[in-house]
Amino acid sequence: MLNNKIKSAYIISAKALARFSRMIFIAAILITNISSSIIAQVTEEVNLFSPVNRLKFGNHLFCNKDYLRAIDEYREYLKFSNNDTARFKFALSLAAIGRATEALDNYKGLFFSSIFSEQARMEFYKVNFLMEDYQKFRSLCTMQSYLPEKHKSEIVRLNFFTYLIDDIYLPDSAEFINSFDAEDKSEVADFYLRKKYPPYKSTVKAAILSAIIPGAGKIYTEDYAEGITAFIATGVLSFIAYNNFTNNHKLRGTLFAGLAVLSYAGNIYGSAASAQIYNAGIRFNFESEVKLYLNKKNYFIPVHNFLCN
Amino acid sequence: MKYLFIIIITANILCAQTDWVKWEAAEPSYEIPVSQERNFRVDNSTIGSLIITGATKIYHIMVSDVDGDNCPFYPSCSEFFVEGVKSTNLFQGGLMFIDRFTRDINFFKSRNKYPLHVSGKLYDPVVNYTLKFHNITYIPHDHIVK
Repeated sequence: MLNNKIKSAYIISAKALARFSRMIFIAAILITNISSSIIAQVTEEVNLFSPVNRLKFGNHLFCNKDYLRAIDEYREYLKFSNNDTARFKFALSLAAIGRATEALDNYKGLFFSSIFSEQARMEFYKVNFLMEDYQKFRSLCTMQSYLPEKHKSEIVRLNFFTYLIDDIYLPDSAEFINSFDAEDKSEVADFYLRKKYPPYKSTVKAAILSAIIPGAGKIYTEDYAEGITAFIATGVLSFIAYNNFTNNHKLRGTLFAGLAVLSYAGNIYGSAASAQIYNAGIRFNFESEVKLYLNKKNYFIPVHNFLCN
Repeated sequence: MKYLFIIIITANILCAQTDWVKWEAAEPSYEIPVSQERNFRVDNSTIGSLIITGATKIYHIMVSDVDGDNCPFYPSCSEFFVEGVKSTNLFQGGLMFIDRFTRDINFFKSRNKYPLHVSGKLYDPVVNYTLKFHNITYIPHDHIVK
């Protein structure tokens, strides 16, 4: 009897506890729901596309070298505010993705009464150099158009490098080499000498060598396999022609003699062409080395590390 | 009516037989597939170009297409000849072609200096052999030309 009473009291208290915990659970859900909706209302008020946020996001993209997307953010920001730092970064981003003309226009906007005047002028010259119109670059230097006052020597160095890439008479070696710092002089002197005395193969020499011994011109231009092939082909055709003539097969002899002459003449021509292609390779490799060196040196322009610090 | 019926039946059987051909085992072809479609248009702007392109087209139909696409270069030797003659003259184009032919028969098959064309062939353009140094487009051998 007593046992049953205890059991029923236990059941009643368990039910009350369950009801109480259910109520707490529902209350917790309600509180969470209401608070989250309140917080959500607060975040809705933040405008992610405000000019300030666009600038922040643009800076983040710029420092992560995502120049393509940084351009869009800076462009939107610059519609509201003419900030020199943002314009400079905008121009740098444009230059980085190869939109040179737009970059130049934006650098020009910073040339006067701006804290970035000097940097913008240097970058202006760098972009002009990268456009590979070296004649225009030299005329800009000669006319001293927008030349950065404190960094004239850097632009002079860049100007000298246009002579290494372009097909133009080189300036005096002493003047050329002495305009560079001591640490760069040895490499610059090497470039100068290689430009002045390129290890080209003579076209005429290649043709004459092939005229003396078929294929020798190609061996001279380091096309060894083609040279030996030309020698064997001309030799075999000549031998067949000779053999036919000695055996009184005049028609066959004439035909093979004609083929031998064609092979001989074609090889002389091919040796001259091969020398030219060899020289084009030398020129290409030299220009590539010069461009890599300039890229390593950041075109003698100081790196703007302060922009991302 | 009887004959008409026989004709219809016979025609039907004949037509049906052509359908059976589709399901026969196909003869395997071991020819190297041609990487690009042939242009059979003959250039008749001048008598010279008519003769040269005409001869080349005959060569394509009679020899090249039967033999398969065997030239390792792009453009192929016959196209190289036509382009060479067009960009220079018959004599110089002829010499260019003979030189190309020697490079084609290269006994040692050492062709490391040529860049690859997207077709998988070795890129060897005419412009590099016209003896005009500034027209040469040097492309390193590890590049792929489109």
